[in-house]
Amino acid sequence: MSELNANFQGNYEGGFIDLSARKRIESLLDSGSMRELLTPFDRLTSPWLEKQGIVPQFDDGVVIARGKLDNKAVVVAAIEGGFQGGSLGEVGGAKIAGLLELAIEENRKGNPTAAVLMLETGGVRLQEANLGLAAIAEIQSAIVELRQYQPVIAVVTGPVGCFGGMSITAGLCSYLIITREGRLGLNGPQVIEQEAGVEEYDSRDRGLIWGLTGGTQRFASGLVDAFVDDDVSALSTSVRDCLAQGVPALHRSDDISAPLTRLQQFDTREQIDAQRARQALTEGKTA
Amino acid sequence: MNAPAEPSINWQSRRQDKQRRMASLEGIADGPIIPTDSIQAALERLLRSGDKVVLEGNNQKQADFLSRSLGALNPDVINNLHMVMPSVGRPEHLDLFENGVARKLDFSFSGPQSLRIGQLMEDGLLEVGAIHTYIELYARLFVDLNPRVALLAGFKADREGNIYTGPSTEDTPALAEAAAFRDGIVVFQVNEIVDDVSDLPRVDIPASWVDYIVEADQPFFIEPLFTRDPRLITDVHVLMGMMAIRGIYERHQVQSLNHGIGFNTAAIELLLPTYGESLGLKGKICRHWALNPHPTLIPAIESGWVESVHCFGTELGMENYVAARPDVFFTGKDGSLRSNRAFCQLAGQYAVDMFIGSTLQVDGDGNSSTVTRGRLAGFGGAPNMGHDCGGRRHSSPAWLDMKPDDHLLSKGRKLVVQMVETFQDSAKPTLVEELDALAMARDYQMPLAPVMIYASDVTHVLTEEGIAYLYKAQSLEQRRAMIAAVAGVTPIGLKRDPAVTAQLRAEGLVAYPEDLGIRRSDASRDLLAARSIGELERWSGGLYEPPAKFRSW
Repeated sequence: MSELNANFQGNYEGGFIDLSARKRIESLLDSGSMRELLTPFDRLTSPWLEKQGIVPQFDDGVVIARGKLDNKAVVVAAIEGGFQGGSLGEVGGAKIAGLLELAIEENRKGNPTAAVLMLETGGVRLQEANLGLAAIAEIQSAIVELRQYQPVIAVVTGPVGCFGGMSITAGLCSYLIITREGRLGLNGPQVIEQEAGVEEYDSRDRGLIWGLTGGTQRFASGLVDAFVDDDVSALSTSVRDCLAQGVPALHRSDDISAPLTRLQQFDTREQIDAQRARQALTEGKTA
Repeated sequence: MNAPAEPSINWQSRRQDKQRRMASLEGIADGPIIPTDSIQAALERLLRSGDKVVLEGNNQKQADFLSRSLGALNPDVINNLHMVMPSVGRPEHLDLFENGVARKLDFSFSGPQSLRIGQLMEDGLLEVGAIHTYIELYARLFVDLNPRVALLAGFKADREGNIYTGPSTEDTPALAEAAAFRDGIVVFQVNEIVDDVSDLPRVDIPASWVDYIVEADQPFFIEPLFTRDPRLITDVHVLMGMMAIRGIYERHQVQSLNHGIGFNTAAIELLLPTYGESLGLKGKICRHWALNPHPTLIPAIESGWVESVHCFGTELGMENYVAARPDVFFTGKDGSLRSNRAFCQLAGQYAVDMFIGSTLQVDGDGNSSTVTRGRLAGFGGAPNMGHDCGGRRHSSPAWLDMKPDDHLLSKGRKLVVQMVETFQDSAKPTLVEELDALAMARDYQMPLAPVMIYASDVTHVLTEEGIAYLYKAQSLEQRRAMIAAVAGVTPIGLKRDPAVTAQLRAEGLVAYPEDLGIRRSDASRDLLAARSIGELERWSGGLYEPPAKFRSW
């Protein structure tokens, strides 16, 4: 980074969302502690994209690193939303799964190591189909194992949001942090519009989309644990707070009987809006 | 010997004609108020086939209820209207021609309807008088395009017909004046009729200019046309913005200016508080603006760069911000923005140092156009601001800097900068051998090619490769070589001779980023004062309210 850029980085307010995956990790970790694993110079590219006429990227759109948070060991993975919509293929998926398994191993050896996942992803990379799905399954089983030892913290800030199989991954984490621009949902807006029709779900109606899947709604519905501004220091404080809280007594994904009942009782004949969705997800729940 | 005036001449035929037409509305209108559901009957009585009719099509205020009602008239009763419209922006504007109510069109800008205008011309349903610049069209309203009827739009009226136009006054005063003072009939659609003048925030058009008002069935359509999401500004835009600030704004001390709409100029606006500040240019450049209230200007305003902004129209979401910054913007006693396209275009034509904007095609000589095959987009205001105004008699440092010599009879020039990336996309070069506008003129047998800005007016061409200081060219041949030097790998650029380019750089006729002390690797989005709509909102202290289509929260 040149002096010119450094000057403006220093007094720049906010702006986590606009950072690249690599800079996101760097901005979060204790200064100077970031050590990237399998860097672009290792040229671990997807073997499938080029065959389909897509220019691959030397990190396959996933950056993984080890480092320190408040002097505690962590592993961090960030998905680059700008590359192929943050889609997860064979290589990128294996990088994250491998990183989590590395943390598990450290914990088994008695070196407490937590994990932070920055998820800007549309889910599985369609060009790599089952290989991407398999990688996501490996990530999920690794999270379930790791979270017994140390917290696994997911961060969804936007601009892409977190969808598809990776939204399930986010749901398995010990803590989930979101901004108002972040979105969390199983199917993306275009997919729902295609399946259910534009009258049901207009993917260009940004008010509707964020109203149902945006950070404000997800936080109010109790599906995420922390709602922060798009601000590097606010986000970093929130991640450190989650880390300090340690392993939660009960993970959200183990606490499913109440929400399941509420979903089963939900009347789908009426068009849903943000207010009704929030009510359905929080009814009878004590804060 | 004075002959007595010829008694058979009627000097009041227009007035009497107006009175006859208005008398036919008896039983329909209640004073100046036409009931909403009687508008078609009223229009059928007020109009005669072949009338010149002004229909207010603006950027942010549309007489769309009136145009829909006009389009629903029976063409056996009313036909062959001659429409005079600043902006043809709505599909219903063109329905008039499809169903035969109107036939001839004089206009300035068509934007999204450009393709359909071309099709209607081909089908012989629409005849274009001329494509004007805005000021040119207003001027003709007072010469040979004086309207019999003006169909206009406001936010609110009282029961007498006083009109509040809201922050998008835009074209209304010019259009109303042309009709009101030569016995034309002035009809306003408004979103709401209030009882008393004291219920209006302010009066923009007095009731004595207005003949009829009608409450629209729904509020007029409004769209945020001038908002550019900083998230879509690229590193290349940043590089070009840095070159503009360094190689043009700073070099010529540009103090007053207009920015075209686009990501290039949005990048410059967002670089002023960062890169501009680092060069110590605050207070020295970019003090006075003729510009719509661009949200991307917020950081520069908040950091004290901007002394004044006069606006053509408003921008959706900027109402509260503008109202809270009356030292900068022109506002009414009610506190909200007062825009005026006629005056702002005049300001852009006569009173600014520089126009800088983008375009779709530039040829090897420097002529530019936004017309591409089959699309008749019109000009809007760019040619007004994008030409050297020969009538200018006041000087400024930038204007004088364009003087070819120190002779007392030599004039300065307005800076007219075309800022383009060399390619629109991988298959579409911006710098072309021949403008599509020429083929278009041949196809439609137009007397003039629809050129946006003529080569003779362009002083600088700026691409991601560098800046060509065209005003310094000694010959047409040298001018072409300068454009080729910054034309990258377009067909024009590939013809350049590296030795000639090196010579042009050495002589300061062409500057590449390195020649300006700019490192290409410095040009990154990190330099933007705001990188998303959310950050613009934050810069404004919550006063800017981004419209839904730009919100990602």
